[in-house]
Amino acid sequence: MSNIVEAKSLRKNYGSFTALDGVDLTIPKGAISGLIGPNGAGKTTTLKALIGLCDVDGELSVVGRDPRISRHKLMEDVCFIADVGILPKWLKVSHVIDYVEAVHPRFDRKKAEKFLSTTDIPANKRIKDLSKGMVTQLHLALVMAIEVQLLVLDEPTLGLDIIYRKEFYDRLLNDFYDGNRTIIISTHQVEEIETLLSHLVFINKGKIVLDSSMSDLSDIYTEVLVDADKLEQADALQPIYVRKLLGKNSYTFESVPREQLKMLGELHTPSVADLFVAKLKEEKHG
Amino acid sequence: MKDLILRNRYTLLVVTLIVYMGVLVTEGMITGRKARVIEFENPYFDFNSTDFEGFRERRNVNENIRAEFDDTGDV
Amino acid sequence: MDKFAVLQFYALLKREVLEHRNIFIGAPVVVALLLLVATIWVAMQIDQSQLAEGLLFVSVLFDGLSPFDMAPFIMLLAIPFYLTLYVCSVIYLINTLYQDRKEMSVLFWQSMPVSNLQTVLSKIVAIVLVAPIFYVLIIFAMYLIAMVWLTILGISNDVDLVGIGYLFLAAIASLVLIYISAVVTGLWLLPSVGWLLLFSAFAKKTPLLWAAGVLILVGFLEDFIFGTQFLANWVASQTSDPNQYLIFEFQSVFERVFNYDTLFGIVVGSILIAGAVFMRRFTD
Repeated sequence: MSNIVEAKSLRKNYGSFTALDGVDLTIPKGAISGLIGPNGAGKTTTLKALIGLCDVDGELSVVGRDPRISRHKLMEDVCFIADVGILPKWLKVSHVIDYVEAVHPRFDRKKAEKFLSTTDIPANKRIKDLSKGMVTQLHLALVMAIEVQLLVLDEPTLGLDIIYRKEFYDRLLNDFYDGNRTIIISTHQVEEIETLLSHLVFINKGKIVLDSSMSDLSDIYTEVLVDADKLEQADALQPIYVRKLLGKNSYTFESVPREQLKMLGELHTPSVADLFVAKLKEEKHG
Repeated sequence: MKDLILRNRYTLLVVTLIVYMGVLVTEGMITGRKARVIEFENPYFDFNSTDFEGFRERRNVNENIRAEFDDTGDV
Repeated sequence: MDKFAVLQFYALLKREVLEHRNIFIGAPVVVALLLLVATIWVAMQIDQSQLAEGLLFVSVLFDGLSPFDMAPFIMLLAIPFYLTLYVCSVIYLINTLYQDRKEMSVLFWQSMPVSNLQTVLSKIVAIVLVAPIFYVLIIFAMYLIAMVWLTILGISNDVDLVGIGYLFLAAIASLVLIYISAVVTGLWLLPSVGWLLLFSAFAKKTPLLWAAGVLILVGFLEDFIFGTQFLANWVASQTSDPNQYLIFEFQSVFERVFNYDTLFGIVVGSILIAGAVFMRRFTD
């Protein structure tokens, strides 16, 4: 099994609103994949569909199972952290650990406790008395102590301050990720996770607009700071995105060989954030 | 079929209720089920839901007796 | 049976008790305290000699009866608990699946390897089998306190306490009957349990209103389409037949469980419970 997620033409409507409009997605084993899109693009719906928390039409296989049929079996191999604190607020920290230990066959209590001892989270407090950052830390501690193949994170650091955010991703990379596990992160704060990702997926209005590995990205997309006298030549090569930058003209090209672009001006690989804007604008213009 | 039933919460609710009512009505028609009479088998409190008038009359009689008893001024 | 599955189910039950502490423990404790305070307050209003006479009367009243003969009388003392359990069960069942979705924790529960069937079954077992255990233990604690108090009262008023010892044995026997009554009533009420759970899983807002509203609507529809009132009759017998509630003799347990109405109730109740299990997949 080389692909941990295989989805074909996923569709989902909420009334007249189309949340997913034929999403195709493959995520290889061991990838750290970023699902990036504006609010309401279908990120959460896609992630929920992957773990069987939302019914969708289409073909779907996650860790070799159909999440719509065997969610509880699938959850032995998959963990999920959501943007909103989903840990039950009335439960004490120690009770949550007890619960997960009893319910999850792959949970290692010692690991979780070791992780928690590095934080300020008191075991006898109720979750509603913890700060949002602590709740996320606690959830991460639980998840890291579970031997899973796939971790699904839905805007995990939304509303956290920069220290918690940075620590969250550090821990994730150093303590959780071992090259075999797969992580899917959805976010709209692209800059923060850019360096961690091995794969990039853009989603907008329920459609995938880009699905590529980070290493392929530099082969396909090129940003050129076009010299003032070569604008016409640049336009002829059909850039996907043009903007003015400090008095210079920045053109982004898709699948145009670098050889051809070299004479136009200075070449760069576009940042994920710029590429994101470029792809979204391209969508808008057709 | 399964897709239709589990399409959304409303279709599922309707299907569940149709099955439930189907069984309930079929069984009722076969066995001729009647409403269970609400009846306390208690000597101190004689109440029968099918004979509510009788219950009220008996209670009024009791009240009258009590009123007469109070009128005697016996404390 | 799989040991892990047992521990898993135990954790699900523990979760219910922790989440609904007020319903499983708080409510009966309050009732027990109220009863104790009320009894002691009444006793203090009464003249001491009258009280001694009363104690003597109690110990003579049950003279010659075995504890099991006396148990049904003592069971009547538990009626306030029985009513509390009844009301609490309705509140619990209509809220339990709904609250998970309202506070979003449903995403956490669903992200654990626990099936919807296990979840819904754990909720039924928690309220039908586990809640009465807590109630019985709390009633037992109340009896214990009452007995200590009666004993002190008896000694200080020079009353023969042999009868009171028997009374205590009878009280314990009555606890067994109370537990069995509660569980058998729970089985008998399974269609109501299923109905409440179904709407707890279904409603996005005000589940009780949905449960009641659809009940009335479906009742009218049945009358309109078939010209029958089986739903209304069924509901009437479920909610207002006191003969179904208390069991005074061990001999009648078998007859209560294995009678046609209870078994038929379990069958139709299962349809609604299955609906609730499937409904649980809609997490929004």
